Amino acid sequence: MLRVDGLSVKYGAVPALHGVSLEVNEGELVTLIGANGAGKSTMLKAISGLVKYEGEIIFNGESFDNCGPRNVLTMGIAHCPEGRRVFPQLTVTENLLMGAYLRHDRNEVRRDIDAFFERFPRLGERRLQAAGTLSGGEQQMLAITRTMMSRPKLVLFDEPSLGLAPNLVEQTFRFILDIRAKGTTVLMVEQNAFAALELCDRSYLLASGKLVQHGTSSQMLSNPHIREAYLGG
Amino acid sequence: MEQLLQHLLNAVVLGGTYALLGIGLTLIFGVMRVANFTHGELYTFGAYMAYALIGPLELNFFVGLAIAVMLGILLGIVIEFMLLRPLQKSDMDTTMLVTIGAWIALQNMELFGWGGVAKSVPHPFPTDPFVIGSVSVAPLRVFVVCVAMVLLVSFYLMINRTTFGIAMRATFQDPEVSSLMGVKINRMFTLTFAIGSGLAASAGALLAPVFVVVPMMGDLVTLKAFAVVILGGLGNIVGATIGGFVLGLAEELGAGYIDSGYRDAMGFILIIAVLLLRPQGLFAPRERTG
Ligand SMILES: Nc1ncnc2c1ncn2[C@@H]1O[C@H](COP(=O)(O)OP(=O)(O)OP(=O)(O)O)[C@@H](O)[C@H]1O
Ligand SMILES: [Mg+2]
Repeated sequence: MLRVDGLSVKYGAVPALHGVSLEVNEGELVTLIGANGAGKSTMLKAISGLVKYEGEIIFNGESFDNCGPRNVLTMGIAHCPEGRRVFPQLTVTENLLMGAYLRHDRNEVRRDIDAFFERFPRLGERRLQAAGTLSGGEQQMLAITRTMMSRPKLVLFDEPSLGLAPNLVEQTFRFILDIRAKGTTVLMVEQNAFAALELCDRSYLLASGKLVQHGTSSQMLSNPHIREAYLGG
Repeated sequence: MEQLLQHLLNAVVLGGTYALLGIGLTLIFGVMRVANFTHGELYTFGAYMAYALIGPLELNFFVGLAIAVMLGILLGIVIEFMLLRPLQKSDMDTTMLVTIGAWIALQNMELFGWGGVAKSVPHPFPTDPFVIGSVSVAPLRVFVVCVAMVLLVSFYLMINRTTFGIAMRATFQDPEVSSLMGVKINRMFTLTFAIGSGLAASAGALLAPVFVVVPMMGDLVTLKAFAVVILGGLGNIVGATIGGFVLGLAEELGAGYIDSGYRDAMGFILIIAVLLLRPQGLFAPRERTG
């Protein structure tokens, strides 16, 4: 479905990714793990068009060629950025409408929003409240749903569990598994390597902008190097 | 008491146009992070276009005003395209210096084109004021305040109720995430500058028949627009609206009860007071960040 080939990204003169390749097949949940600064977010930003890259990104046979976020979204890839990033002064409903910005089926959009409020009634009660007043966990649910409002084929999640209490982390992962179960392919960045590997089908490990390992979740979990460096022995 | 009522009425007339100016400036600042010193020149441009169309070209008054505003929007698009678009990645100081340069250039073009002699714009309203009890107001001023109100309300409906308005506010808060939602950021910047410029030009066109039109009048207008924006909090649209009326009121009261020479000083006295006591602006929104 998605093929990334020899991807390199530089911030000014500083390289953040050197020739990374990866692949995501339809229906998979793939994770991208690695230490801080490894280049995980950069990879997602390159795919969604937020940063310029060298190399090739091919989605369902079409090459991206640095076409920018709007075109990437139109092709069916949505990106839920690191740190939630809800629009703090827009209401909950307005945030969701922004997620559906490129859609024209107003009634269906309304129905999607209502379905979200049914699932998270606390957010339904706060639908006219500024999103910046929500709790961290509520903001994360909102951010994920906003991303899904475009009805993507592939969704990129950047550390959706960041800064959440353990029970909320679990809720977030359940939500993401649910999204996958409903037919959306997922590529997710996750700090917590153990949680990520438990959850996914396959995983890629980045270090200092390079790909160092990849494999199925059980291969990665049993790899002695990964156990030692990332899973605490 | 009667005098106070009269001042209040005058304040509303002034405040409406100050609000238009302030909203335009704060919108440009909020969305584009540009401190736009051409704002007063767009006001002046709107005023001169109204003069040219209604005076020498003898167009219908209302048609002339409408075209003047449209030309202001167009000039805004040209400025954005030629000066700001190439500097999108530059910092705020750079774009500020560029707009200051454009301010000087535009003003001298006006001086060159129209000369230094004040122009007055003819209008079709009777000069006898409406008198209600002890207060009186010229029909032209009633027209000005009504149009200003219509523009303010339309602007609020646009920004709060339309998808475009929501996207504009979203861009204001987080351009990167907005682009992830599919917003064309470049086009949003152009439209923002166009709308902001249109609001400034409409204030200029509306007040042109009330006062006279001179090339230098933009200077004070720019400064007053910044006063309104600082009063309301940078980038705060509701704040700029209220700030416009607060400045109108302060000028009227300052002129009426202290000395008429204080009229134009009031805005700056207010800025100093606000910056000392409430630097986030009078109406900073409360927001949770955790
Ligand atoms: N906008 C930027 N300008 C300059 N350097 C950047 C920028 N964004 C990221 N970098 C650098 O690129 C490298 C990779 O950053 P990236 O954000 O992709 O890491 P990450 O793996 O997502 O880390 P984390 O787990 O902390 O989120 C880092 O060295 C970082 O400092
Ligand atoms: Mg990151």
